[in-house]
Amino acid sequence: MSLINFFSKNTETIIEYSGNHFTLVLWAVGISLLIWVPTGLLLTKSDKWAARVLALANTIFCIPSLSMFAILVTIPTFGLGRKSALFALVLYAMMPLIRSVYDGVKNVDRNVIEAAKGMGMSTGRILREILVPLGIPIIFAGFRITVVMTTGIAAIATYIGERNLGRFISEGLVRSNTPMMVTGALIISVIAIGLDTLLGLIEKRIVPKGLRVTR
Amino acid sequence: MIELEKITKKYPGQAVPAVDQLTLSMPEGEICVLVGPSGCGKSTILRMINRMIEPTTGVVKINGHDVTNTDSDQLRMGIGYVIQQIGLLPHRTIAENIAIVPRLYKWPKEKIKKRVEELIVMMGLDLEKTWGKYPSQLSGGQMQRVGVARAMAVDPPIMLMDEPFGAVDPIARTHLQDELLRLQKEIKKTIVFVTHDINEAIKMGDRIAIFDAGKLVQFGTPEEILTHPVNEFVENFIGHDRVVKKLNLYQVEDAMHPVQCVVRENEWQNVAQTLKDAGTEVAFVSDQAGKVLGHITLSDALELGGDVEGFKKRVLETKKAFVQSTTPLPDALSLLLEYNSDFLGILRGEKLCGMLSFKDIRNHVYKKEGE
Repeated sequence: MSLINFFSKNTETIIEYSGNHFTLVLWAVGISLLIWVPTGLLLTKSDKWAARVLALANTIFCIPSLSMFAILVTIPTFGLGRKSALFALVLYAMMPLIRSVYDGVKNVDRNVIEAAKGMGMSTGRILREILVPLGIPIIFAGFRITVVMTTGIAAIATYIGERNLGRFISEGLVRSNTPMMVTGALIISVIAIGLDTLLGLIEKRIVPKGLRVTR
Repeated sequence: MIELEKITKKYPGQAVPAVDQLTLSMPEGEICVLVGPSGCGKSTILRMINRMIEPTTGVVKINGHDVTNTDSDQLRMGIGYVIQQIGLLPHRTIAENIAIVPRLYKWPKEKIKKRVEELIVMMGLDLEKTWGKYPSQLSGGQMQRVGVARAMAVDPPIMLMDEPFGAVDPIARTHLQDELLRLQKEIKKTIVFVTHDINEAIKMGDRIAIFDAGKLVQFGTPEEILTHPVNEFVENFIGHDRVVKKLNLYQVEDAMHPVQCVVRENEWQNVAQTLKDAGTEVAFVSDQAGKVLGHITLSDALELGGDVEGFKKRVLETKKAFVQSTTPLPDALSLLLEYNSDFLGILRGEKLCGMLSFKDIRNHVYKKEGE
């Protein structure tokens, strides 16, 4: 009952926080895709650099999110707020995105590439028509993980001034306000599960049919 | 015509070049087989023709033009390429796979569709059933047919085939080989064919180049190579059944000799005398309509004397001992052994046109060896 009460009394705040949360995730995922997908593709050209960059991404991924936010806040250009939050989320997305793009492309049957090259397909065409479509199942799996993970970590950004659903949880904890905590937790979970389900549906549509059929 | 001029390929960190100072020219319209043990450089040579690998030194020329003058993608579009692992795009249908190179050439849709249909039929695949399928839904043999069809899509004058039938089962392989040979009679492409199987080389090649450790050991027609292997390596590579293998180059009609004596069924009493008069060892027996039933030898005829039933029985025992004139010689040899017979009747259609004995085979081989 108190939960419904909380909802009805704070509708505006809930909408504001959800909106903030959602846009932060959207921006973070958008920027991450723009940066890390091309990086992942580029790395497939050089095993040496792939090893280095993947090691770096792994290391970044190991830093606890609270520590990461704390460190970024101390850097003058970032400070409290969205810049630091975005930057941290993009850094976290580095590992799953680069890794999945790299693995996805590297997993494509070498013979298919060899045959395509032997038929005179250009490098760009091989990338567009073969590597990406065939790598899609793995790439998309990484993308889904990134989205869900970003939604979760975004909540923690509340500690550096993001006014989002994480605030309900932190404030709720401080004030021992159970409905507040539950509201935050619930909506974050719904966003995460909702996005993942949506992406699952998209994945079904874009994985090439030939990869799903069997004899 | 494909000419390799002093081609050397040395990979970094390798002491011995993979291909060493190779000069070779492959005539137009012929199947040139590159054969040798694993690691002899044969695939490397093939891949240098379409610039999948660039030679360290030396020049590859196609019809007199240095291949490095053409953009590598353009060059490859104009050369059919078939590899052992086929490499069909798993996310594209069979029709789309075959259409890859025509699409690179930006053919109009209708033209592509027509050509794809033509090729599927030409490859002996069911058009309706195969068209929209994905590669994973086909058998290995069918996939390789698609691989060959794809390479022939824009009718390139040159085809490079790297162990194309190496991964399919022996029965499918024989089929594919036979069909390629049949097709080649019509299309007359310049085909460079890599294999490690000397039998396949002898069967497929108009010319065979044998390699060992990056060096060309012998280059010649299958007959030349089987008749005069240049050294022990070639001899060993061919195997100790060299002369038997050579039989593969011939058909029954190359070795047969004319029939000297044919008798009617009802003339059985005189067979022994007829044979003696004709000075020959064997008589073929036909029915009243002239259809050949079997044969009987002089010694059998003498032994049987006047036993008419025995005579008929003996003739009927040989009723299977006939082959068509185009049968490969080894098959005929095998049949001679199988039927424990000294003679085979050779037919052209239904008509008896000659006969073959062990001696004929021996004479033929001896004649060819002595050439």
